[in-house]
Amino acid sequence: MSALEHASISAKTASPSRRRRRQKWLPYLLSLPALLVTVWIVIPFFTAIYYSLLRYRLSLPQLKGFVWFDNYLHFLSDGRFWYTVQVSLLYTVITVVVELVLGLGIAILLQRSTRFNNLAAMLLLLPLMVAPALAALMWKLMTNPNFGILSYLVGLIGLTNFRWASDPSTALFTVILVDVWVYTPFIMVLLLAGLRSLPKQPFEAAALDGVPKTFVFFRITLPMLMPYILTASLFRMLESIQQFDIIYAMTQGGPGNTLTVFQVESYLQFFQFTNVGRSAALLMVLWAITFFLSNVFVKNWLRLRERAQGISEE
Amino acid sequence: MQHMSTGERVLRGILIALALIFFLFPIFWIVLMSFQTNAQILRIPPSLFFSPTLENYTSLITGQLKTASGVLTLNFMQNLFNSFILSTASVALSLVLAVPAAYAFARYKFRFSEDIAFTLLSFKFAPPLLVLLPLTIYFQKIGLANTYFGLIWVYQLITLPLILWIVRGYFEDISPDIEHAYRIAGHSWAKTFFKISIPLARPGIAAAALLSFIFAWNNFVFALVLASADKQPVTVGALAFVTASGIQYGQIAAAAVISITPTLALALFAQRYLVEGLSLGAVKG
Amino acid sequence: MYDQERDLIAALAGHRIGRRDFMRRASQLGLGAAAMSGLMGQMASSALAADSSFDWKAHKGTTLKLLLNKHPYADAMIADLDAFKELTGMDVTYDVFPEDVYFDKVTAALSSSSSEYDALMTGAYQTWTYGPAGWLVDLNDYIQDSAKTAGTWDWDDVLPNLRASTSWSGVPGEALGGKGAKQWALPWAFELNSISYNKRIFDQQKLEVPKNLPDLMETAAKITKDVSGVYGIGVRGSRSWATIHPGFLSGYVNYGAKDFTVDGGSLKAAMNSPEAKTFTADWVKMIQESGPKNWSTYTWYQVGNDLGAGASGMIFDADILGYFQNNGDTKEKGNIGFHAFAANPDAKEPTPNVWIWSLAMSNFSTKKDAAWYFMQWATSKEHDLFGAVKKDMVNPVRQSVWDNDDFKTRIAQNAGYLEQFKASEPGAKIYFTPQPLFFDVTTAWAAMLQRLVAKELPVDEGLDQLVASIDDQMSQAGLQ
Repeated sequence: MSALEHASISAKTASPSRRRRRQKWLPYLLSLPALLVTVWIVIPFFTAIYYSLLRYRLSLPQLKGFVWFDNYLHFLSDGRFWYTVQVSLLYTVITVVVELVLGLGIAILLQRSTRFNNLAAMLLLLPLMVAPALAALMWKLMTNPNFGILSYLVGLIGLTNFRWASDPSTALFTVILVDVWVYTPFIMVLLLAGLRSLPKQPFEAAALDGVPKTFVFFRITLPMLMPYILTASLFRMLESIQQFDIIYAMTQGGPGNTLTVFQVESYLQFFQFTNVGRSAALLMVLWAITFFLSNVFVKNWLRLRERAQGISEE
Repeated sequence: MQHMSTGERVLRGILIALALIFFLFPIFWIVLMSFQTNAQILRIPPSLFFSPTLENYTSLITGQLKTASGVLTLNFMQNLFNSFILSTASVALSLVLAVPAAYAFARYKFRFSEDIAFTLLSFKFAPPLLVLLPLTIYFQKIGLANTYFGLIWVYQLITLPLILWIVRGYFEDISPDIEHAYRIAGHSWAKTFFKISIPLARPGIAAAALLSFIFAWNNFVFALVLASADKQPVTVGALAFVTASGIQYGQIAAAAVISITPTLALALFAQRYLVEGLSLGAVKG
Repeated sequence: MYDQERDLIAALAGHRIGRRDFMRRASQLGLGAAAMSGLMGQMASSALAADSSFDWKAHKGTTLKLLLNKHPYADAMIADLDAFKELTGMDVTYDVFPEDVYFDKVTAALSSSSSEYDALMTGAYQTWTYGPAGWLVDLNDYIQDSAKTAGTWDWDDVLPNLRASTSWSGVPGEALGGKGAKQWALPWAFELNSISYNKRIFDQQKLEVPKNLPDLMETAAKITKDVSGVYGIGVRGSRSWATIHPGFLSGYVNYGAKDFTVDGGSLKAAMNSPEAKTFTADWVKMIQESGPKNWSTYTWYQVGNDLGAGASGMIFDADILGYFQNNGDTKEKGNIGFHAFAANPDAKEPTPNVWIWSLAMSNFSTKKDAAWYFMQWATSKEHDLFGAVKKDMVNPVRQSVWDNDDFKTRIAQNAGYLEQFKASEPGAKIYFTPQPLFFDVTTAWAAMLQRLVAKELPVDEGLDQLVASIDDQMSQAGLQ
C-alpha cells in the first residue's frame, strides 16, 4: 500500500489541499498525546544521571561530592560488577529463549479455536496473574525441604537432597523455573493471538499442494509470526534483564553472590546501603544495555515486518 | 489441520496435558493452601487431605484477623479496591492514548515517526529504581505524592509502551484496503477509525489491554514509595501476612486467590475478543 | 465510654478504690474481658494524667501521623491509642507497612525529606544511617527538658544497655552510648538471642539443653540422626544483615571475636582473627551437619516456622521468635522451652546481641513537640505494662514491667523464659561496631557464610577474603 494509492482514495472524500494538510498533522495529533503524557519521565531520569556522577551515600553526608565518572570507572576493575553483567545477561537469554520455545509450542498446540483450547489458554494465563512477589513466596514454600510439596515430589523420585534456590549449583535453575512458570503465558497469549490472526490462504494452498508440515512451519508460519515473536521477546527481554521480584524474594542475590543481577544489586545499594551514587551508576549501565538490545530488536522488527507483509500480501 | 494422524493427536494431547500440569499445579496447590490453617500447611510431609476452613477468606474479607493475642484489623479489601482503581484507570488512559498512536505509527510514515515510537518504548527501559528517588522528591514538591492521579500517571510507564507496541503490530497486519473502501463510501476518517480499524484490531487490543492490566496489577514498587498506606495495592497488602510473629501462608494464599479473581474475570470477558482472531483472517489479505 | 465507667476508672486511677474493688464493680457494670483490656490502658493513662505538674493537654487538637511496621508491638500500641487521644486531646493517624518492605518505605520517605510522618518505628542499626543522614532528631534535648517531659516518665527505668544501644555519637567506631552520644531513638520493645527448644523432643530423647557451642553441635547432630524428619538446630542464613545479628553474632562475640578493631579514626575488619576463625569454622560445620537443608534462604519466619511445626529440635535466635511459636496457632504450641546460651565453653555468661524496635522522631516533622508527647506516652511505664500484659509487647524494655507480678505470671507460662531472660539480660546489648557501612558489611558477611557453608572455599581463606574486601570498602568510604 503506497502513499500514492492512499492519497488517491482519500482525495475523493476531501478537497486536495485540505486533505494534504490533514495528512500532515493527523499522525502527529494521534501520536503526540501519548508522548506528552509520558515524556516527563526524562526529568527524574536526568536527575538520576546527575546522582550517578556523585559520591553520594546517605549515611555519609559529609563525603557527598561531584566525582565525574568515578562510579563508572570503578566498575571497570570490579570483578563483582562484571559478574553482575554476566549473570544478568545469562538469566535474560535463558528465560527469553525457554519461554519463547515453550510459549510458541503451546500456542501452536492450542491454535485451533475450540472450546477446550480456549479454556486451556485462559487457564494457562493464571500464573501470570499471580503477582511475582507472591508467586516467589509460594514457590519458596513449595520448595521448602520440610513442608514443600515440590521437595516432597522430587524426593519421591529419589532426589532427596535437591536444595533448590539455596544451593549455588541449582539456584539459577530454580529462579529461572519460577520465571518460566510466571512469564511463559505472556508469550503464549501474544503468539496465540498472532497465530490466529494469520491469513489462512497460504496454509490452505500449502495443504492442497501437499507441502510437508515442517516446511510449512519453518517457511510460512515462523516468518509470518516473526514480528509477533519479536514484540513478545522484546518485552520479555525488557522485563527479564530488570528482573527483581522473583530473584530477590527467593534468594536475595545469594547463595554467596550467585544471583546478584543488576536490579538486586542496585536495590541493595540504594535501599540497604543507601549508596545513591553507586546505585544510580549501576542502573545507568543497565539502562544502556537495555537501550542497545532494544535497538537491535526494533531494527529487526521493522525489517521483518516489511518482509512478513510481503508474504501475507502475495 | 484436519488431517491429523492418531499418533499426532495422542502426542498433542500429552503435550497439552503436560503444559497444563506444569502451569496449573502450583495454582492448584495455592488454592488448596488458601483453605488450610497455617498449622495444616506446615505439615511434614505435605498432604492433600485436610479439613477445609474458610477462615483465611473471612478474615481477609471482614478485615478481622483473629490471633492468639486478640483481633487485628486488616486493610486487604481497601488494597483490592486500590489495585482495581489503579489498574483500571491506568489501562483505560493508556488505551485512549496508545491506540490512536499505534494506528498512526502503523499507517503513516511521517517525520520522526520511528523516533517517537522508539522514545515511547524507551520509557520501559528506565529501571523503576533509577527514577524512584527523584520522582518521590518531585512528586512531593508538586503535590502529587499520595494521590491516585499521580500513581495513575506513573503507571503509564508500565501500561502505555506495552499497549502501543502490541497494538501497532496488529494494525500493521490489517490490510488498509477495507478502510479505504469504507472511506470511498463517503465516511469520515474518524468514523472509519472507530467502525473499521478498531474492531479489526480488537484481538490485539484485547490482548494488550489484558496484559498491561496484569502488569499494572502486579506492580508494587511505585505505590509503595509514592503513596501512603491507604493507597497501597494488593501486592503490598498481601505482604502484611509476613510478620514478626510468623508468616501466615494460608492468608497469603487466599490473598493470591482473591487478587487473581478480578484479572481472571477480565480475561474471561476479553476472551470473546481474543478468539475473534480466526474469523479475522478471513477478512484479511 | 459511659460516665459510670469513666468515674470508676478515675476512682481507681486516683487511688480512691483498690484494684479488687475495681474488678468487682467493673463486673457489676457488665464489662467483659475484651472491654476490660481497653479500659486497663485508659486507666493506666489516667494515672499519667494524675501527675498534675505536667500539662498533657498542651498540644490539644494537633494531629500526628506515624509510620509503623506491621508488628505485634504496633498492634499493641494501636489497641491502646484511644487512651492517648483522651489523655492529650490529640489525634493520631498512622500508616502501617508490611515488615518485608517497611524499611524501604522509611528510606523513601525520609530520603525525600517528606514531612508526612512525625514519628516512626525503627531498629537501632537503621539509626546509624538515619541519624548521620540528618533524618532524625536527637532526643536528648527532649529527655532532659523537664518542661516537655513528665516527671513520671522515668527514663532511668529503661534497661541501661538498651538506652546505650540506641544512642551513638555518629563518629564511626565510637562506642554506643559513649560520650557525646545522641539519643536517636527510644527503645520500645526488644528481643535477645538464646536457645528455644522443643521440650517434647528433648524429653523423648532424654536430652539436656546444650550449654555451649560444642555441646550444641553434638546435641543437634544427635537430633538430626535420631529423630526422623527433624533437624537439630535452626539458624538464619539468608543473604542479609538479618543472618549475622541474631545467634551468629551472639556466639561470635562470646568467643571474644569482634567485627572491627578501632584504632583512632580507622576501622579494620577483624573477621579473620583466631577467635573469629575458630567460632566461624564450628558454626559452619554445625549448619552443614544439622542445620536446615535450605539454610541459605532462611530468614526469621522459616526458622520460627520450623520450630513451631516440629521440624527442628531447637533454634538459636530471638527469644520472642520461640515465644510466638509457643503461643501462636502452631503444632508445638506449649511445647517450647527457653534457655540462655553462652557459646564459648570458657565464657562466664551469655553475650546475646539484641534487636530493639524503637521509636524515632522525624527531623522533617513540623510538630516535633507534639510528636514527643506521643513518644513519651508510647514508651511510658503504663503503656509498656499494658502492652506486655494484655498484648504481645515482649520483651518489654522497662525494669518496672519485669518486676510486675501480672507480667511475671503471664510470662512464666513459657517454660524457662523468665530464667533465660534473667541470665541473658545483663550481657544483652548491641555488639556491632557502629559505622555507616553496617549493611554493606553484614550483607557481605552473610554472603561469605553462604559460600563457606556451600563448601565453595575453606573457612580460613574465605574469612581472609572477606576482610580484604571489607577493608577495601572501608577505605573507599574514608573510614580507614
